[in-house]
Order: sequence, then C-alpha cells, then structure tokens
Amino acid sequence: MKKRCLAGLLSAIMVFGLLAGCGSSGTEEKTEGESTTKEEAGDKDQITVACTWQDLANEYIMQLAEVAEAYCEEKGYQYVSADGQGDADNQVSQVENFITQGVDAIVLNPYDKDGCIPCAQKAAEAGIPIVVVCTQLSDLSSATAFVGSNDVEAGEIEMQMVADAIDGKGDIAVILGPTGISAQADRSQGIQNILDKYPDINVIYEESANWDRAEAMTLMENWLQTGKTINAVVAQNDEMAIGAYNAIAAAGKQKDIPVVGIDAIADALKSVEEGGLLCTVFQNAKAQSETAIDVAVQAAKGEKVDDWYDVPFELVTSDNVGDYK
Amino acid sequence: MNTKKGQKGKDIFGKILGKYGIYVALILMVAVLAIITPSFFNTQNFINVLRQISIKAVMAIGVTIVIMTGGIDLSVGSVLALSAVIATSFSTSDNPHPLAISLLLGILVGLVCGAVNGFCVAWLKVAAFIATLAMTTAARGLAMIYTNGRPVINILPEYTNIGNGFVGAVPIPIIVMVVVIVIAVYLMEFTKYGRYIRAVGGNEQAALVSGINVKLIKFSAYAIAGATCAIAGILLSARTMTGQPASGEGYELDAIAAAVIGGASLSGGVGTISGTVVGMLILGVLTNGLDMLGVSSYYQQVIKGVIIVAAVLLDRKKHSNE
Repeated sequence: MKKRCLAGLLSAIMVFGLLAGCGSSGTEEKTEGESTTKEEAGDKDQITVACTWQDLANEYIMQLAEVAEAYCEEKGYQYVSADGQGDADNQVSQVENFITQGVDAIVLNPYDKDGCIPCAQKAAEAGIPIVVVCTQLSDLSSATAFVGSNDVEAGEIEMQMVADAIDGKGDIAVILGPTGISAQADRSQGIQNILDKYPDINVIYEESANWDRAEAMTLMENWLQTGKTINAVVAQNDEMAIGAYNAIAAAGKQKDIPVVGIDAIADALKSVEEGGLLCTVFQNAKAQSETAIDVAVQAAKGEKVDDWYDVPFELVTSDNVGDYK
Repeated sequence: MNTKKGQKGKDIFGKILGKYGIYVALILMVAVLAIITPSFFNTQNFINVLRQISIKAVMAIGVTIVIMTGGIDLSVGSVLALSAVIATSFSTSDNPHPLAISLLLGILVGLVCGAVNGFCVAWLKVAAFIATLAMTTAARGLAMIYTNGRPVINILPEYTNIGNGFVGAVPIPIIVMVVVIVIAVYLMEFTKYGRYIRAVGGNEQAALVSGINVKLIKFSAYAIAGATCAIAGILLSARTMTGQPASGEGYELDAIAAAVIGGASLSGGVGTISGTVVGMLILGVLTNGLDMLGVSSYYQQVIKGVIIVAAVLLDRKKHSNE
C-alpha cells in the first residue's frame, strides 16, 4: 500500500513538473479540455455543432480543429469536439454519442474512408446533418455534403512546378507518403497526370518515407550516394521535402536539385522564403473548416446545401510566400 | 582417423560460425552489396551508414542493458520524443537558452522517465512489458501536451549542429555514438556493474543470495536506457532540425531487433554491447544498400524480418554448441 502511494506520488510529481515546465501552453490545453466538457450540456436556443477529428496528434488536423473552435465562438454556436486518435471505431462511437446528446449538426473528419461510413449512416438515420471535411468517405450517399480539397490537384501543382523548373526533361525522384491512404494515392495520381504530358521526364526512384523527415533524409542520402544524376525531387509532403532538401544541402547540391513539397507547414514556408524548397502547396485549413461549419449549420436550419464544396489548393513560391506566413 | 579429423574441422567451423556468426553475416552482406552496388564501398558511404544508425544505435545500447537484466523497454520511442521536444523547446529563436541547459534538461527528462520505469519494475514488481507500455503512452501524451501537438521549430544553429556538424571529417552524431559505445562497453565488460547486470538477468534468485542489490541494479538499467533515449532524441531533433512529438514511433522495434540480432537473449543474462552495435550495423547497411538499389521499403521490411529470425536461429545453434 505504502509503495503504491509512493508510486502514485512519484508519477504525479513527474506530471506536474512537466506541466509546470511547459508554462502557458500546458495550462491553455487544460482549460480547452474543460470548456469542451462544459458545453456538452448545451442550451435550447443555441445551435450545437459537434466535430470528430481523425487524429489531433496531426498538425494539420489540429489546425482544422482550432479554426472550427474559433469560428463557432465567433458565430455563437456551441462547439463540441472529439478526437478519433487515428481509429475509425472511435469516431463511430463518438458520432453515436453526439446523436445521444442531440446535437444539431455533425462535422466528420474521417480517419478511414471505409471504416467511417457508419458515422454518416447513423447520423442520417437520426436525421442529423453530417458534413464530411478534408478527408474522404468512399460512400458519400449518407453524408449531407463534402467540403475539402482534391489531393490530385496538389500532386498536379507540385509536379507541374518541377516540370517547368527542369524544362520538361530529366530524371527525378519521388518520395511517397505511406501507401494505402487516400492522400498518398491521390497525390500520386496527380503527379502521374502531369508526367503523362512529359515523356522526357523519367522517375528513377520512387519510394515511401512515411511522411517522416528523418526517413526521407536517409533515403535521399542513399540515393545521392549512388552518384546517379537526380534533376529534381518531388515529395508528397513538406516534412519529407525538408528531409530530402537537408540531405541535398549537406551534399552541397541544393543549387542543382530543386525540391518541392505539399502542406505549407511553417518550416516549409520558411525554407521557400530563404530560397530552399522551390515550392510548397497550401491546403486552406481555415476555408475548409469554416465552410464545413457553415454548411452543417445551414443544413441544420433546413436550408438547401450542395453535395460538394471544393476548396482549391494554392501554389506557394518565393513570390507569394509572404501571404502565407 | 580421417572421419575424426573431418569431424573436428566441422566442429571448429561450427564454433567460429556460432561465435562470430553475425560478424561473418555483416562482412558477407557488405561484400555482396559492394559487388552489386558500385558506389557502396567507399568512405563517404560508410560515414553515411554510421551517421544513419547513430541515433538508433545509442538507444539500442540502453535497451540492450535492460534486456540483459531480463527486462524489456518498449517506451524508448516515446521517451525519445518527449526528451527531444523538451530539449529543442529551450533552444529555439523564441526561447533561446545556453545549449548546455537544453541538453541537460533533455537528458534529465529521459533519465526521469527511465527511473519511473525502473521504479515500477524493481520495487513495485510491475511486469517490465506492462510498466514500459504504460510509459510509452504516457510519455507520448506528455510530448503532445507539452507541444500542443505541434512540432518545435526555429531551432538554434548550435543545437542543429549536433546533428549535422562535423569534427574534422567525422560527423558529430558518429562521435556521440562512439563515446556512448565506449562507455557502455567499459561498464558492461570491465566493471562489477556489468557482471551484476548479467547475474540479475541470468538468475535473479542466485544474484540475490550472493548479495547483489537486485532492485537497484534493475532500476539503474532502466534509468540508463532512459538517458540513452534522451541522447538519441537530441541527435534526431538536431539532425532533422525540429522537435516532433510524434517522432521515434516504432524505434523500439529496431532497438530490440538490433539487440536480438547481436545475440542478446530476451530471457536475460546474455548479450553484448558490441553484438548490438553489429546488429544495428546489419540493419543500417541493409537499408542503405537496398535504398541504393531502389528496392521498395516494403520488401526491406520483409527482409528485416527474415534476418531477425535467422539471427535467433544462429544464436540457438551457438548455445547448443556450447
């Protein structure tokens, strides 16, 4: 018993030590958590929008959630949020909970395009509008609407940029995301669409680095080591693009090998500004999240909404990077 | 007479293969890759491989010590991430501190996580698998809370230099790795402490009877593993120039695989630091060579699996020889 108390005490001290260490960011997090639970009660007149996010450990999804919360506050809606933690099953349970709570509208950011279909079906059966945002469902028939950007377009934008930079000919390397998820497949499709127009561009290497910076760095070093000429590197996200760029810069070849990425994360914007990455592609989290909430609320009020809202990707180069910082 | 001589020769061959099997395997692999990949066999590429394995090798050394006590540490990837985000957060352009403070804080965090693991295992008798599994999720969660799920960026150059800089022609991560290896080999092979670790892992009861403070030895092994994770975390974040709360996922598998390939037994008592380093080299050379050949990472994963099983079988042969 005594030992257990001691263990409890020890872990408590450790946790508090860390929380205290992180200062303001830690306490903010705590109050956010509290406010979410308080709002679950909800009052009658106010519209309640409930969102389930695929995984709040993902930086981009985190952005979507932050925008949604701020926008709901601005518009005077109750905001309820749940974290799917990278599991479609969690999201199905969360939607069931939303239905039990009697929320007015649901925003679903599905982790899995098949596994999350029951979310839409259950909401439809309960007569609650459900808007899918950012990532896809393979069957949208039960969903009220989809709001998002087309990843095929992102692949096309970055590949076109590279094709122009190397005058439509040369040997390139493509660094893929984890295969089997829709963002990777769609971005690959987009890259292929452009490659079809340029028969003189050869893909000499194509491999996955799982969205990971360190993995892409190792991969690039090993490719450079072969001594084969690589004229450009097309990475399917910014983390991998930066990893590849770092390896190229360490070899002193950053002037010879343009590198492009997607997502416009802070590090990538900085790199584009400093003349590192050739370009990145911006996915508009603010527009996606706000549109999704607008559409969900309109549907909840019984207004007619479209099935599909496209939020275009935007090319970010050294010319316009200032607008995105 | 003849048959007897042949038998003897076979025995010697078997013994050599048993004792130096993984070294032979590594040399064979290097030889094959050198033949089929023209740019493989040169100094620059060896430096590449050593730098690429340095992060996981440092971590694997800590894991090996834990495995030698008969335990296991699954939390290394998460502890790496937590140490990395805390260390980097004190070395950004928004929150600049002397480099030593970042590094000490990072290592302290790793040490504390390891100590909590060790305390749970040694004194509270929680199974190592469970205690470190709990730490895996707790440390990952703390890393997320601390950073609000965002990577730490704008890291100061003196910090990133640890991952990307050189002393003479040698990359700093390699130097760090070599220092950690030397300390660990000294500790495990030339001090009483190393004997105690093996004794505890080999036969806990006997170790206890012979007056070894079993609890303290176990506790110290986890604390050391925590510290090596922190060092690995600092190297990784410096090399990638960002402290990512999601980093290090799956690293525990590579660390355990390297230890097992290097001859460590998960039932404890057996293992060497040099074996683990060679195990990591085998994994590193494999990735490097197959990347250069353009082999997809999916095949690489399968090949890794085959090598792990082969190493264990080789190890069993060694013990049946003895």
